[in-house]
Amino acid sequence: MRAWIEKQRYIIDFTISSLLRRKVKNFGLLALYTLIVFILASTMFFTYSIKKEASLILKDAPEIVVQKIVAGRHDLFPASYIETIKKIRGVAAVESRLWGYYYDSLVSANYTLLTPPSNGSPTHNVKSSAKTTVVESESGDQQAVDMAKPLFELNGAVLEPETLIIGNGIARLRNIGKGDYMPFLAFDGKVINLKIAGVLSSQSELVSSDLMLITEDDYRKLFGIDKGYVTDLTVAVSNPSEVAMVASKIKKRLPQARPIIRDEILRTYDSIFNWRGGMMIVIFSAAVLAFVIFAWDKASGLSAGERREIGILKAVGWETSDVIQMKFWEGAVVSLTAFFTGVILAYIHVFFTGPMVFEPALKGWSNLYPNFELTPFVNIEQLTTLFFLTVVPYTVATIVPIWKAATIDPDSAMRFTGE
Amino acid sequence: MRNSSLFFLYLSAGVFLLGLLLVHASFSTNARQESLDEKSAMVKALRLTDLCLFTEARYTRHLSQADLNTAFQDHPLSLEHFPSGSFTQPPEGITQRHESLD
Amino acid sequence: MIELVNVKKVYNAGNPSEFSALNSVSLHIAENKVTVLKGPSGSGKTTLLSIVGCMSRPSAGRVKLNGREITSLPERFLTDIRRKTFGFIFQQPNLIKGISVLDNVMLPAYPLGEKRSHLKIKAMKGLSELNIANKAASKVEWLSGGEAQRASIVRALINDPHIIIADEPTAHLDTRLSYRFMEIIEKFKSEGKTVIITSHDPLVYESAIVDRVVNLRDGQIED
Repeated sequence: MRAWIEKQRYIIDFTISSLLRRKVKNFGLLALYTLIVFILASTMFFTYSIKKEASLILKDAPEIVVQKIVAGRHDLFPASYIETIKKIRGVAAVESRLWGYYYDSLVSANYTLLTPPSNGSPTHNVKSSAKTTVVESESGDQQAVDMAKPLFELNGAVLEPETLIIGNGIARLRNIGKGDYMPFLAFDGKVINLKIAGVLSSQSELVSSDLMLITEDDYRKLFGIDKGYVTDLTVAVSNPSEVAMVASKIKKRLPQARPIIRDEILRTYDSIFNWRGGMMIVIFSAAVLAFVIFAWDKASGLSAGERREIGILKAVGWETSDVIQMKFWEGAVVSLTAFFTGVILAYIHVFFTGPMVFEPALKGWSNLYPNFELTPFVNIEQLTTLFFLTVVPYTVATIVPIWKAATIDPDSAMRFTGE
Repeated sequence: MRNSSLFFLYLSAGVFLLGLLLVHASFSTNARQESLDEKSAMVKALRLTDLCLFTEARYTRHLSQADLNTAFQDHPLSLEHFPSGSFTQPPEGITQRHESLD
Repeated sequence: MIELVNVKKVYNAGNPSEFSALNSVSLHIAENKVTVLKGPSGSGKTTLLSIVGCMSRPSAGRVKLNGREITSLPERFLTDIRRKTFGFIFQQPNLIKGISVLDNVMLPAYPLGEKRSHLKIKAMKGLSELNIANKAASKVEWLSGGEAQRASIVRALINDPHIIIADEPTAHLDTRLSYRFMEIIEKFKSEGKTVIITSHDPLVYESAIVDRVVNLRDGQIED
């Protein structure tokens, strides 16, 4: 055993010194390999964390959202439909939502304007026969009471008419804060000035960066939306297993409606950020292409120099298996070095430097983007996957062409004439 | 020092650092629980449906609310919103519906 | 100690380029003697040497080492025998570039897994015996022709072989260095080693320390 270990160490010594001999080529290869691991690992860490975070945050999203579609576009939802939906068996509560976008030409940013449920938007409790109704409606009321409480960082500031609460992203972009006024251009050309009653916490930016919370009256005044209309509805279902059933009933009752169930929302966030997408494929494919050329160069055969060297090794008493072990270590040294460097750099990149490389891609061409710190959801499984995706194929690929080494006779060393 | 010792030193350092990062990950996951709860509470309170990742277009701001006509309507990879539009896939509800709700 | 019986070696068998390098060579090489295989180039010296040194197998015939038939042994065993029994000195020094002289010298011992500190002592001793200990840490590219030759001799001796095989060792050496080489061979002989040399250099085959000269021509032994 001792001898075996010592032998492997000798082989590693020799392998590393032969790698160091072709410094430019091998460091180039190592750098490229590290870059690939880095991109793969960064993407994996980033997407996994954001997916995991999305699934945790959005688990309490509305069970069903009902939109109205007219000629392929979202349309305002007539408040009268609410009664129709309430009559559907299994529906526990129906609430209307008032929200929309506002384009701020000053900073070329889109804001999401939203009316918090507590302010004026009535909770439509179901008075039907469902057993759980009473409990549900009570908890709904409880929610309403909760909502009346100041939101998060507001320190007692309550959303009143003529005021608004803004997300931290907007505060940062416009460089404004509590007590400042924010002018809006209403649908009829009038300018409405709203006073900022508070700023949502920076902790919550991942969901609230571009939010503006305003009262229902202000919302309707701003956009000229009649009392008889809302943006869309959220539907609570008494029995979670009936969500899909209720959704299809809504669809049947109101053919213009488009229900979106929470599962679909969660699934959407489970599938976003694909490494095949956009920027990533551009960077990644370039790196992979270069790497493949390198690997091809290696795999397609041994150079004359290498053949000569293997001939010498065999002549001085190395077996074919020793040569194969040498090649194995060559692959292992390069790929393990690249793996550890790449993964560690990727972790630092994603969780300490706030995905520097991804940032421009995430910002896109929007002026308002969230400033969020990712929660590092990392596990052994991810690292194992990465390991098998990177280290193993390369190591195997290095050994494969070595069958050619077996065909080199030891006496070939005697036949070299001239250096 | 021998090359092999350097290599094993590097390997051990790598394993150690990676272990340290895993510890860091698990600690910060715990430490950030409060912030997660806060976000989740806000989602519940304001009936939010989406993460605020890209604000440049309706269907990138509210990915899950995009309808069949707006989402990725101009190009399959949404290159008109490159790169962020191309970063994400079309919403699940549009490509693969488990229930036919539209 | 080494016995060859009707050894033949054919290259590229079955091809139009087929040629036979050795035709029915039978030879006995005695222990603790210096044997020189002499002949013009193309006479089959190197082929014979590589068969004697277990580097290649004969196409026909048998090779016995200390009475043991070795022609039919699998590669593993053959390599093992080669490693422990033979030390090779090539026409070219055949050192591996980019690594130090010391590492080159220790190379044949790597697969044996000997403790590095012991191995290093052994290698340094060998290097100092041939007066190149001061070059141990240098890269082989920086050596002169004679130094490279001596380094390759030290490498041949690292596993303490009984038989030293040298293929045209003086081909790239000047007269002074060639004499120096023959002195080294004499020392081997006095240590009880068997030496087999191929050469067409009179300085080698006319040397007083040579016990036997075998003449080869067209793959056959001439008497």
